[in-house]
Formats: sequence, structure tokens, C-alpha cells
Amino acid sequence: MIWQQLQSIAGSYPLALRGLGMTVVLSLISLVLGTLLGFGLGILRTGGNRLISSAIGAWVDLIRGTPFLVQIFLIFFILPELGIELDAFTAGIIALTNLAACFICEIVVAGIRSVPTGQVEAALASGLSRWQRMRQVVLPQAMRIVLPPLVGQYVLLIKDSSVVSAIGLTDLTRVGWLVVQRVPNGLLVFFLVGLGYFIVCYPLIMLARRLEQRMGAAHGEVQI
Amino acid sequence: MTSLSSKNGAGMIEFRGVNKWFGQLNVLRDITLSVEPREVVVVCGPSGSGKSTLIRCINGLETIRDGDLTVDGQRLGDPATNMTRLRTEIGFVFQSFNLYPHKTALENVTLAPIHVRKIPRTEAEKAGRELLAKVGLADKVDAYPAQLSGGQQQRVAIARCLGMRPKIMLFDEPTSALDPEMISEVLDVMVAVAEEGMTMMVVTHEMGFARKVAQRVVFMDAGAIVESGTPDEFFSNPKTDRSRAFLSKILRH
Repeated sequence: MIWQQLQSIAGSYPLALRGLGMTVVLSLISLVLGTLLGFGLGILRTGGNRLISSAIGAWVDLIRGTPFLVQIFLIFFILPELGIELDAFTAGIIALTNLAACFICEIVVAGIRSVPTGQVEAALASGLSRWQRMRQVVLPQAMRIVLPPLVGQYVLLIKDSSVVSAIGLTDLTRVGWLVVQRVPNGLLVFFLVGLGYFIVCYPLIMLARRLEQRMGAAHGEVQI
Repeated sequence: MTSLSSKNGAGMIEFRGVNKWFGQLNVLRDITLSVEPREVVVVCGPSGSGKSTLIRCINGLETIRDGDLTVDGQRLGDPATNMTRLRTEIGFVFQSFNLYPHKTALENVTLAPIHVRKIPRTEAEKAGRELLAKVGLADKVDAYPAQLSGGQQQRVAIARCLGMRPKIMLFDEPTSALDPEMISEVLDVMVAVAEEGMTMMVVTHEMGFARKVAQRVVFMDAGAIVESGTPDEFFSNPKTDRSRAFLSKILRH
């Protein structure tokens, strides 16, 4: 009986692949942009300028303290009211990138603050500029703290990308909603949707675990 | 404080009426002190007397509240003074070494010469190897700090400062975090640096070192300079009760 149900769903596989592709592309672009932006925000937040630092802090708190669904609606439906026309894909990228950047910012800040002040003083005393101190001394040491939760955060963000189906993007979750209207067994459909996400996320979960084990290493640069 | 013309003064480091507070605590009180080029000054005193703060002001790790502090002819806190550039002329050796744990001994020594002095990598590495050999660590060039003993780490830290060819070297209790058997290997390197004519201020309780190379011992208590003199004067004939009490404690053993 399960077999018959699987057959009835099987016809939808091109759609499912498209959905999976959309989920992967959307996640990949947002994670790359979000990581760059998140590191930038994290570095600025720990920099000397109090105004910039608290502005970033306030934004990060706002984003972390509101549901992603609300954020994506605001971006998709409110920005056009202000004269900024967005297609659903761009709106999804902006919303996900922003969400990723805010969470990653906090991870980077925690990593930077974990570096002992003596390290910064030593770099300062030898005349390294602010950027050289960050690039040569602080970030390489912060990365040991940052990497495991960073990869863990990627997993959460890939799953959060399912919310973009709410603004009509045909990602894996939306494909699930579409298919479920055509076949008798909805549970099975969403089991398969879940499996799709798991296949994408599981390698990252394994990577995060390996990185955490490596943290114990006594010395040397972190190599991915 | 009238601005005495600092550039004419021979002092490599000149404190004039310097005060500093941590909240309500007056950690430096009316410090006036001049250190001549090639002079070695040992600063001692009970813990909390302000001696570390004193030398940390010289390279701007701490800022002063009032008074004048001039280093190598440049007034600290003056907008015309480029603090980052001035720091390249001042080596600073920390009590806790503060080597970069993710870099090898050689990389620790060459980082600032390559990135700040813009010396080509091969040249910087050659100089770095020579410096590490000079502090007795020719065979530890590729070791990471965690693979080195405390004494070895502190010698790398001294080589790291020398790599910048500084005019001044500051030492903040360089042997206090070391096991007793490692103290002399670090002091020997410091003596060698002093004998080459480096201007040095050394916060330490190693009175053997003071007798050997210091031209002057400065005794601090409660943020003020209480007494200052040659090591002979200071050790054989301390002038104040506080310095006598301090000496009796550290020389008892």
C-alpha cells in the first residue's frame, strides 16, 4: 500500500528536484553573503566606535527577537510600498542574509571577545594597525571558538529557509504543499520533504562535530 | 605644568608631573622621572605600587590623566604624535609572555617586521633566525609557544621585540611568572641586551640583575616615586623607612 502511495508521489519528482534546487541555491547564496556581512558586523561591533557598536547591537537584538516569517513579510510586502520593487527570490535572499548575518555577528563577537587582552596588547605594543591586529592576531584565534557554532548555525538557517515558501517561492517546503494536495497520503509527502532537508544538513552536522573535536588541539592554525 | 622644550631635553623618556587615576584610586602621583639614552632603570616596589602602570603609560597601553610624558622627543596624547609609529620604537615584554599561540617562534618574531616595517619576508626570516639564535633558541624556530617552556617563551618574546630594532625596551616583571630554574636564562638575555646599549626600564624584584646592569633603581610605593638612586646607594643605604621595609622583605631569602 505504501508502495502504491510512493508511486503516486513519484510523478512529482521533477518538481521536488526543482524545490530542492531552490532551497540549496537560496541557502547557499544567503549563507555566503550572511557570513561575509556577519563577520563585518561582528568586527565593527567589537571596534572602538560606541555608536556603531550599539546600533549593530540593537539591530541584531531586533532581528533575533522577531519571527523570521514576520521579517520576510515585512521585506516582501512593505518595501514595495516604499517604492522598492522586489521579486520573491530577491526578498528571500535579503531576509535570509540579514537573519544569517545577525546570528553570525553574535558568534563572531563571542569569538573575538574570547581572545585574551594580552594578545591584543602584544600586537598593539609591536605597532600593528587595527586591521593587522584583527587579521593577524585576533581573528585566527577567534576562529577556533567561532567555527563549530558557525557551521551549526548554517544548519539552522537552511531549515529556516523553508519560511520563504510563504512568499510564494517554490522551495522544497512549498513543493510539499503543492504535492500534498494531489495525493492521498500527506504524511508521506512531508516525510520525504524532511528527508530532503536532512540530506542537505547532515554533512554539515558531521562537519560541526568534527570541528568541535578539533578545538581540543593545543596549537596551530585551524584548518578546514 | 609649563611645557619645557622636550626636544632639547636629552631624556629618552621624560615624565613631568604625571598623574593617573583608576576611578578614585590615584595610581600614579606626580611622577617626574627622566631616563637617558642607553640608561637601564630598574623599577621596584610592593605590589600595587603603580610600577607596571608606570611603564605601560610609556607605550600608551595606559593613558595619563595629567602631566607630560615625552618619549623619544614625542609628547604622548599630542595629536601630532603617531602612537602606532612610536610603539614600533618601543619593545614591551609582558609578565605572561603573550606570544601568539597560533604562530611559530619564528612567525612571532617576524610578524611585525614584515607587516609594520615592510621588510621582505626572506630578509625578515633571516634576521628572525639570527635573533632566535642569539637568545639561545636556534633549534626552536618552528616550535609553537605551547611546545616551549616559560623561560623559552619569554626569550622568544624578547627576540620578538628586538626584531623591530627598538630604541627602548620595557620589561613588566619578565621573570615573575617563571619557575625559579628558568629565571636566569631570561635574565642573561636581558643583561646581553642591556650591554648592547639599549635604553631599558625594567620592573623587577631581581636585585641581582639590578646590581649587575642598572644605573639607577627607582622605588615606588602607593603610586609615587619614593626613592631613586644607584643600585649601590639603594641597597646598602636605603633612605626611607618604606624602602628599608621593602628591601628587608625581598632580600631576606
